[in-house]
Parts: sequence; C-alpha cells; structure tokens
Amino acid sequence: MQVPEEIVHAAGLIPVVIWRGNEAVTWGHSHIPPYYCGIVRSFIDDAVRGKLGFMDGMIFHVRQCLLIMDIPLIIERHVKPEYMKLLYLPPVYPGEATRDFLISDLELFKKSLEEYTGNTITDDMLKSSIAVYNENRSLLERLYEIRRKKPQILTSAEVMKIVWAGMLMQKEDHNELLKELLPLMEAMTIEPTTKIKVIPIGCLCQIPPFDVLNMIEDLGMVIPDDDLYVGSRYFANKVNMNDNPIEALAERHLKKTPVCPTKGVWDVLWADDVEEMVKLNNASGVISIHVKFCPPHACYYPDFKSRMIEKGIPEILVQVEHEMLSMEGIKTRLQSFTESLGGE
Amino acid sequence: MGFAPTFIFAFAMGMKCHFMAGYSAYCGGIGAAAEVLQAAEMGGDLAESCSYHRLHMGMAEAVKRNIPINPDAILPIPDIMIAGRLCPEMAYYAEGLNRRLGVPVLPVEFPIVFDREDVPRIKKYFAAQIKETVIPTLEKVCGKPFDYDRMSEILTVLKKVVTVRNKCWEFFKEKPSYWTLWDYGVSIAPLFYMMGDPVGITYYEKLLKELQERKEKGIPAIGPEGEKYRLYWDGWLPWAFLGKFMRKLTPHAAVCLTGRYLWEFYPDPDMIDPEHPVETWINLYYDGKEPLAMEYAPKGALHEIGNLIEDYSLDGMIMFSSKTCRLWNISQLDVIDMLEKKYGVPGVIIEGDMIDPAMVSDSQIDTRLEALFELIDARRR
Ligand code: SF4
Ligand code: SF4
Repeated sequence: MQVPEEIVHAAGLIPVVIWRGNEAVTWGHSHIPPYYCGIVRSFIDDAVRGKLGFMDGMIFHVRQCLLIMDIPLIIERHVKPEYMKLLYLPPVYPGEATRDFLISDLELFKKSLEEYTGNTITDDMLKSSIAVYNENRSLLERLYEIRRKKPQILTSAEVMKIVWAGMLMQKEDHNELLKELLPLMEAMTIEPTTKIKVIPIGCLCQIPPFDVLNMIEDLGMVIPDDDLYVGSRYFANKVNMNDNPIEALAERHLKKTPVCPTKGVWDVLWADDVEEMVKLNNASGVISIHVKFCPPHACYYPDFKSRMIEKGIPEILVQVEHEMLSMEGIKTRLQSFTESLGGE
Repeated sequence: MGFAPTFIFAFAMGMKCHFMAGYSAYCGGIGAAAEVLQAAEMGGDLAESCSYHRLHMGMAEAVKRNIPINPDAILPIPDIMIAGRLCPEMAYYAEGLNRRLGVPVLPVEFPIVFDREDVPRIKKYFAAQIKETVIPTLEKVCGKPFDYDRMSEILTVLKKVVTVRNKCWEFFKEKPSYWTLWDYGVSIAPLFYMMGDPVGITYYEKLLKELQERKEKGIPAIGPEGEKYRLYWDGWLPWAFLGKFMRKLTPHAAVCLTGRYLWEFYPDPDMIDPEHPVETWINLYYDGKEPLAMEYAPKGALHEIGNLIEDYSLDGMIMFSSKTCRLWNISQLDVIDMLEKKYGVPGVIIEGDMIDPAMVSDSQIDTRLEALFELIDARRR
C-alpha cells in the first residue's frame, strides 16, 4: 500500500494495486494458514491457482507487516513473474538515516525498473507521472467534497468502487472519467439528509466487503466520509513537486498523517485524526472495520477505542473476513449501534 | 528496557534491562501467562494479537487498573523503551506502552533481509541508527558518555560463553543425544539477561562437564536406549508448554535437538571482536556466512534449516506455527515442501502459541506427531 506507483508509471508500466479476490480460498490452504488476513490468503490462493499469470511484474513492500512477508517466496515458486522487486520502505522514524535509506530504496527501485524495461526514467518523466497522480488525488478529493455536502449522492460502495477502479486502471483514463463524472455530481440537487452520519475507518490495505457498507446504509445511517485505505487514505497527501522527484516521493512516504499503524508513528494519535474527520462531517459515530488477523490494526485498536471513549465519540468494532460466513452478528452489532446513536 | 539485539547498548550503560521475548518466556515459565493475558483482554486487547504483545499490555493494564495478577509478573515502569523493529509487531508493543504509560520510545528499524545483495545497505542503515540515535539517546537518558569499555567487557565474556556453548552443541550430534533442545532453551539466560556476567561461563562449563560425564557413563537425554526420532523444531519454543510437549514426545522416544531460533544466538564466536564492540554487534546480524537477519526470510531459512538437518542427522521436522506470531511462519508450508524434496526429511505443522493456553490443542498435537512418526517410519522401511 505504500509503494510509490509514480515510479512504475514513469517506467511506462501500468501500476495495479494488490487486490483481494472475490472467491473463497481453496488451493491456498496448502500454502497459508487460516489465521492470516484475507488479502494475503486470497492473493496467495490466486497465485497458486495460476490466476496471476497475466501480471508482468510484482512489487512487494515487505516491511509493511509480518503477514505480507509470506507472499514473495510463494510468488517466486508458483507465479515466477518476469519482474519482481521487494521494497523495504522504512517506518516514519526520526533521523537522517531513515530518510537516506528510504531514498536509496526508491533509487534502486527506479534502477531496477529501468533495467527491466530498458528505458531510462528521467526526472522529467517522473515529474509528469507525479503530476498525473496528483491530479488524480485532487479529483478524488473533489469527489469526497461533493459527497461530504451530499452524502446520499452515491452509496458508500459506489464511492469505493470509484476509488478502487483508479487503483486498477490507467490513471490518465481514471482522471478523464472523473472529469466527466464530477461536474454531473456537482450539478445534482440532493435533499439534505437527516440520517445519522457515521465514519467507517480501518481496512488498512484492502477493500471492505461491500455488504458491510451496504448494511450500514440499509440500517439508516449515512457515510459522508471515510478513513479507509480504498477510500480517503489512498489519495491523501499530494507529492510536493520539487527539483528532485525521488526526494519528493520520499517526503510523501514520511508524512505521519493519515496515521497508519503500519508506519511506526507514535507521536500523533490516530484517534485525534479521526476526531477531526468526525467534526468536519458533523458525524455521530465511528465504525472501526478491522480485517480479522491484521496485527497492525489489532494491536492499535484498544488504544484507539479508549481514546474514542475519552473523547465521548461513539465507536463500534466490526471484524471482517475474506469469507464472510455470516453477516448476522455484524447486523446485530450495527443495529444496536444505530439505536444507541438515536436511529431507528 | 529493551530487547534483543539492541538491549546490549543499554546493558553497556549499566541499565537494568528487560526484553520482550525474555519477559514472555519468564511469564510462561512462572505460570502467570493466563492471568496476564486476561488482564490484557480486560484492557480491550484482541485475542488474535501477538501473545507477547498482549502480555505486556496485560501487565500495563494490571498496573493501571489494579487488576490482581501474580506480583512476580509485574515489572517496574521503564525509563525508555528501545523498539528494535525486527518484526513490525515489536514496535507495536512499544508504541502501545508509550500511548498507555507515556514511556519514551527509541525506535530502531532493523529489517529482515530478503536478498543477500541488500545486506550492505541495510547494514549501513542499521549502523547509522545505532550511531545517530541509539547511543546519543542512551547517553542523554543516563547523563553520561556511552561506555564502550563495558560493552567490550560484555562481549569478552559472551565470546567465552558461546565458545563453550558451541562445544555443548557438539553433543547434539551424538547418537544418542545427551541433551535436548529444551535443555538448551532453559540455558539461554547467559546469552541474554546474564550477558556479560562471568557466571555464564561457569554455567556452560558445568553443563559441558555434565554432558561429557553422561557420554562416558552412557546416559542419553531420554530413556535408557536413547532416541528413535531425532527432530528439528522450528519457531519459538513453546515456553508455557515445554513440559506438555516433552510428555508427548518422550513416550515415542522422540526428541527435539535443534531449531533455527536457538541457533541464532551468536553461532560464530570468531565474529565477536571485543575490540570493536559496536561493529561486532552490527556484523553479528548482517554479516558472516549466514547473516542472522536473513534467517527469518524464507530463503535464509531454507539454507539454515537444511544445514541443521545435515549437521545433526535429523529424521523429521516439527514446524511450530504460532497463531499469533508469524515471524517464523513465513511461507512455512512451502518451506517444508522444499526441504522435504531436497533432504527427504518429512515435516508437520503444529499450530499453537508459545504462551496462550487457549490456542494449544492436545488432540491436534497428538495427531500431527503420530503422522510425523508414521512418515518417518515409512521412509525408513
Ligand atoms: S496490513 Fe493488515 S490486512 Fe494488510 S497485509 Fe498486513 S496484516 Fe494483512
Ligand atoms: S509477532 Fe512474534 S516476533 Fe513479532 S513481536 Fe510478537 S512474538 Fe515477537
């Protein structure tokens, strides 16, 4: 999730963000235990079932979390893509050493892509890729602004699909589509809502099940904003263009907010970040969507929760899995949460 | 406070240290794990979080909310936490304690290496952090210059300890073996908490003498006849369940003899150079024939486990897969498959936890062990 896609784009390739498939794990069981998060299990399952052969290359950020470290050997054995690169991208630790190491990681990444494609990636090429990505970020920000003003204009699953599409397709095309869509959305008149506003947060590196988002809305709540990876986290922080594009990409990586529990930030609190979002949207509560067996989120969660209690912001935890066997438990929790917020 | 490998720098400054795995093994050993884990749950920790993490959070919760737990499981609030982020979760616990107790964190990124060609620049990064942040911060906290001489003394003792320890390792090669991996597991304090204390040398010298005597008198580690199955054990030792596993293994005349976890502690005494203490510590992890920091990544593991299988004439592998700590689990199922193909030695996975009794199932252990012994027997026929 922290791989700077701009470098891949500048190499003339199409960066596609790792996704969680839509099928239950089958062959993957022989390669990965059940107590791993959905995206890792599903991606490994796709790999061993031969479904990833259409990819030319793969890049993994192996220091993101322990679970992601399972993937490279399995990909090497069972997929053998033409290009494979492992990035270390350090956490946001103080000191020049971390910054220097990050820059060396990015430089080597660039070099390896040059070797693979046979093309030199010039600073100008990088700058124009950054411009495309920054434009995409601005357009998605605009989408979120419209949604904030007219939360019912799209369902949350629809918003998510728009963001997700951008992670899978050519960015220039995504930008064009957004430019067509946004004026239409801006022109639409929507009655102001009286529904309870809630903010979903979490799902650090993968898409939440659409059923959960739909259920939140079916229960009478509305989602004006989110703090999800396939959501506002993906397009947060533009790259500040300067003379050295690699350094500019490194600066973006070193941003502490939005707080991500995988990035080693302890002097800014996630709950404080979320509180801002709650205020901005005049929301009544927060729904933490935790991917089962995601340690960075699980380890952070108790402190997030207690801080929410201190702040008097109602919050509830919903755990999601790749194979959602039953939605009943989640429904009951969400129903009582709505009621506690004054909904029906 | 700190944990391997960075706590040696605090040791050198004369600070009392604790480290994450050490405390956890201790809690398991004194039988306090279940109640401390319960305190963590009361503080909102999720059962799926790493049990070492939960133990620390549980202790913090017990202190904060006066939850009664075994007083021997309570540690004083530290002045500083050195978070050596070998596994990313090691940082989560320091961050968590910082958020709950306000203890300052000194973070050190300490990457596991996936590719040998990455070693030089990762080593440079680690070294720069030691010089740029670790040593200056400890100097500030302690109000005195870093004690390089004390670090050299610690390493002088450690070098002697591991030299004798390696002689003890030779007894694992004997058939039958004169000690077990568990015996070595409970002998690691001189390599950690007692690091730099000359009593560690005496300990291992006594141990060596005992092993020599057992050999002379023909007293193997298990049973009168010695072992029938010589096994490799992958992953953490199951600290809270050492007895349980022993009781399950010995009736089959099976014994665990090696594992990359306990072999990671300074296997090559020649690499310890007390004249260059800081460089030694960095080199230990990132240099040498088998850099330690590569053992966790699957390719390094393949190499290391393969060597152990051959050096110690092993018959089978138990891959202990912790449900809450995935450090040793990395691609474990594929690792077994590759090792089985290369060395013809079968392996099974045993799922469980090093500390949490809720995650350890007797019936699963029994079934998997039976399967392993049948596989070994079949290959022998
Ligand atoms: S961040 Fe969480 S969900 Fe993503 S790969 Fe890591 S453990 Fe899995
Ligand atoms: S996950 Fe494992 S290696 Fe990481 S901190 Fe927990 S016990 Fe240690």
